[in-house]
Amino acid sequence: MTATAAEPAVDARGLVKVFERGRRTFWQRLRGEPDRRERFHAVDGIDLRVERGEIFGLLGPNGAGKTTTMKMLATLLIPTSGTISVLGIDVLARPRDVRARLGAMLSGERSLYWKLTARENLEYFAALYHVPPRQTRARIDDALTSVKLLDRADDYVERYSTGMRQRLALARALLPDPPLVILDEPTVGLDPQAARDLRARVRELRSQGRTVLLTTHYMEEADQLCDRVAIIDHGRIVALDTPGALKRTIRAEEVVRLEIGLADDGAAVLERLGRSATVARSERHNGTLAVTAHCASARDFVPAAFDAARSAGATIQHVEVVPVTLEDVFISLTGRALRE
Amino acid sequence: MSLLAADARAFVAAARKELRMWRRYPLFILGLLFWPIVLPATWVLMGQAYSGGGDARALAAFAERAGTTEFAGFVFVGYAMYMWLSNLLWGPGTALRQEQIRGSLEAVFLTPTSRLVALFAPPISHLPFSLLNFVTMGLTLWLVFGIVLPLGPVLEAMVVIAIGIPSMYAIGSLFAASVLRFGETGPIVQLVRGTFVLACGITFPLVMLPGWAQAGAALLPPTYIVADIRTVLFRGVGLGGIAIDLVLLLAFAGLITLLAVWVFRILETSARRRGTLGSY
Amino acid sequence: MGELLAELRAGLAIARKHVVTMTRYRVAMISMIFIPLYQGVIPAFLFGAAFAVGGRSLGLASSIGTDNLAGFIFLGGVVSGMIATAFWGMAMSLRNEQDAGTLEPSWLTPSTHETFVIGRAIGGSVLFLLTQIALFAIGMLFFGLRFDIGILRAIPAVLLALLSMVGVAYVLAALVLLLKEANFFIDATNYLFSIASGTAFPVTLLPGVFQPVALALPTTYAMDLLRHDAIGTRTLFDPVVEYVVLIALTAIAYPLGRWVFARADHVMRVRGTVAQY
Repeated sequence: MTATAAEPAVDARGLVKVFERGRRTFWQRLRGEPDRRERFHAVDGIDLRVERGEIFGLLGPNGAGKTTTMKMLATLLIPTSGTISVLGIDVLARPRDVRARLGAMLSGERSLYWKLTARENLEYFAALYHVPPRQTRARIDDALTSVKLLDRADDYVERYSTGMRQRLALARALLPDPPLVILDEPTVGLDPQAARDLRARVRELRSQGRTVLLTTHYMEEADQLCDRVAIIDHGRIVALDTPGALKRTIRAEEVVRLEIGLADDGAAVLERLGRSATVARSERHNGTLAVTAHCASARDFVPAAFDAARSAGATIQHVEVVPVTLEDVFISLTGRALRE
Repeated sequence: MSLLAADARAFVAAARKELRMWRRYPLFILGLLFWPIVLPATWVLMGQAYSGGGDARALAAFAERAGTTEFAGFVFVGYAMYMWLSNLLWGPGTALRQEQIRGSLEAVFLTPTSRLVALFAPPISHLPFSLLNFVTMGLTLWLVFGIVLPLGPVLEAMVVIAIGIPSMYAIGSLFAASVLRFGETGPIVQLVRGTFVLACGITFPLVMLPGWAQAGAALLPPTYIVADIRTVLFRGVGLGGIAIDLVLLLAFAGLITLLAVWVFRILETSARRRGTLGSY
Repeated sequence: MGELLAELRAGLAIARKHVVTMTRYRVAMISMIFIPLYQGVIPAFLFGAAFAVGGRSLGLASSIGTDNLAGFIFLGGVVSGMIATAFWGMAMSLRNEQDAGTLEPSWLTPSTHETFVIGRAIGGSVLFLLTQIALFAIGMLFFGLRFDIGILRAIPAVLLALLSMVGVAYVLAALVLLLKEANFFIDATNYLFSIASGTAFPVTLLPGVFQPVALALPTTYAMDLLRHDAIGTRTLFDPVVEYVVLIALTAIAYPLGRWVFARADHVMRVRGTVAQY
């Protein structure tokens, strides 16, 4: 056993994954034609160190490379280059040892056998996880208790709700009693109550001393749940810190969102607004200009904004003052919103 | 009248949609060439094994039961019906059920089009495939097994097929209506096709069946179609000799169509009452 | 040692799940017996019987050396059932899990990926055995099926063929996990494999170009030995030679299959298609 408590839960260096798009036919290979397949960098040089006992979040829009990163950690994908060690074990050299210590929930409800009961599902996977037969029953009961499904253990999974299936998938990830749990978009497709429930379960994992690495494209989730967050975009990490520290990188106390009705392209308004705040993002849509501005004080900026609009011949239709969120951090780093 | 015209247009659109969906599965097309050749060819070679490579006594015994010593032709005609049934049950027969699973049946039912269009349009699309099967099998029989069928009887066989189409078509619709009730279509197709294969003399002479099974076979249109095609092709009997069968086939077509509409109506009403139109 | 035991338990769990899932689909269970009956056994029997003279299959006797029509057909069903188990039960069912999304969580466990083929081989063999017992019972009750006691001598040949089919299943599993449209591929190759093994008619009747293919298949020899021992058919070669070839083919097929499967597993992990399609 090379893993020691001092080693980080995850240590990835220079991680790159390139996918080839399209096909190279047998004839093209035979004739030795040049390979014209398009190469797509899903992950483009990621360095990541997750410490033991923390909840670490990968936050980014769909297609940013979060899932690809998770699958490389989970041994499902072989990286094009780079090294990964999980709990001190080299993922490429000893994938099975990694899998024995890793609880992973990647694709949620589809990953279960609907024609089996919850208990039968877990019995099956307990055997695959090499759980000793004498411990199997207790381990399954613990896992079901921790996701609050013990009373429904003998129902067929096909009769479960989406939230229950998601929780069962989490229970399965806990079967090997893993020191590291990785969760890919754990709350996607859940209603607000079920999502809250699942987040509570994730916090409990940390209190049990486990490390949790999760991906999400919900900034509230990353903010509320994670000790540290890496913001990922186009396969690269663009920022990494605690949610609080990330929000402090925006030199503003408040964020003001404006909707301005205007006839021209809005350049004049934006120029005037820029004198009293930082315009983080602006988008024109059907004669309306949506502006996100970072400012020290909304009390000073909002009257100035009305003046700026009036003098440019535009009217402010809507004003919203909100505290800084991780969404604003993402916008200030990439110029785009998370859900675009 | 304009409503009827609109329904007719919807009918054509539904049939065309069905054809377009098949175009997406190139291997299905490959299957259209593979099975009609390989399956009957296997049975012809089995016939060679069973007849001891053409032992005169064995062939005479076969002719006594099947009406011809030409067991290769006999098998090919049987398999033409098998492929026809397969196309009918796998394709359009299950299309309605597929639409139910995908939820597009609900979408169709939200349009003002008559609901019977959903029932009767898909089976149309199986016809080109079945015709392609017949041509492939005829060519195989000629090129691989050297059996040349004379033009006259071939034309008569085509008449039998044409008269058989409405009743086969009605079977497809009846099946489609019934599968709305079942969860798994695959095994149901197997059961239904299996029954036809065993009852209708696809690969063996009907007289080999026990009496009660022969009586049951007399209620199934494919029995007549297969037997009549074999009669005109291999026994030199003209259409006049099988006229009663042909009238029966048309009567079957009408009866089964009515039955399909009735079953569909019942299932549709119960589905609307229980709200299971879009679920499964 | 503990590792091996854990792997064995995983294999048995896979086998058990394979059987349990099957029993949850009632119609599928029935069709496991009904399909071979209606597609093969019954029509073949009635077709064959249509050539009988005075209740005896003279033609068959001159082709294979015995007029035991039911025995010839039901034993063909044994080998074609074994082949179908490898094609559908061991290989294609992995692909079905890939499509359903359950392959990924399985691949996330520390069990070796080979165990998933082995587990299915065990589960598939149990179902195969149960199906054969049912089919034999039907054969004896309704089709006058009878064997020599010598059928027991053929058990080693059947077991060897089963082992070699696990090797073939590895190769097939590798292909179906990588192919985009696997259904037609498995359906067609399963049929051809079965025919080329002589399950429906003696391989000597195959067109010349297919004869070498037939002689390269381990199941051809198992089929030949099984019929020879059970109903006294003529064999293609000396039975001892057939055993030697069968052992040699099994010795090649098994490691070759494992190697191809490991390659396919690697390719899936490079392309990221464990959960895709």
